[in-house]
Amino acid sequence: MPDLRLTVIDPSGLHARPAARFVQAASRFASRIAIQHDGREADAKSLIALLGLTIRPSSEITLTADGPDADEALTALAAELTPYVAAAEPAG
Amino acid sequence: MGLVLISHSGKLVEGLREMVAQVAGADVPVATAGGTSDGRLGTSAPDIAAAIRSTLDGGADDALVLLDLGSAALSLELALEELDAADRARVRISEAPLVEGAILAAVQASIGASIDAVAAAADGAATMAKLPRA
Repeated sequence: MPDLRLTVIDPSGLHARPAARFVQAASRFASRIAIQHDGREADAKSLIALLGLTIRPSSEITLTADGPDADEALTALAAELTPYVAAAEPAG
Repeated sequence: MGLVLISHSGKLVEGLREMVAQVAGADVPVATAGGTSDGRLGTSAPDIAAAIRSTLDGGADDALVLLDLGSAALSLELALEELDAADRARVRISEAPLVEGAILAAVQASIGASIDAVAAAADGAATMAKLPRA
């Protein structure tokens, strides 16, 4: 299952507007898509779940996708988040 | 599906409609009924009925109605009595707080979710934390 680690660089964190865009973009894919933050996980196709993570500036998020279009979904979602995130430092 | 936003204040629902469009995009129809017909604070059953009808006649299969306080519910009840049974069956009333509920519902509606999913998203607004957890 592919995943993608990102750091939130927007000074407001992942706030309502980009979160809504993200949910809309995620919903275009058949794969199950989740966003993990601070030990919790939310369904990327639900705005309330995503806002419930309260993703703060400078924090790290991980996107995972599971399904037939998983790779394509992660590429598209990373592009959707581009102004708000940067690639996370490699682990270890 | 479409949303119908009811408030005692016309300015409030106009502003909320703007917020909803900016967050969820312009694809979800949003009708509003705010204030009395002579421009005071209050709610108007005929205006609410007109907003619901415009949503249902405008191509939405269902309408989710969100409202503010007190007598808004009474006016909504009167408005529903003005609708025929077929239209009334396509209306769902949300218990969600108006502002957060409208935005969550609109985003869920914008991805083509069912009225059940949209109503559930709005209901989630009641327990959504505003401040980050410690």
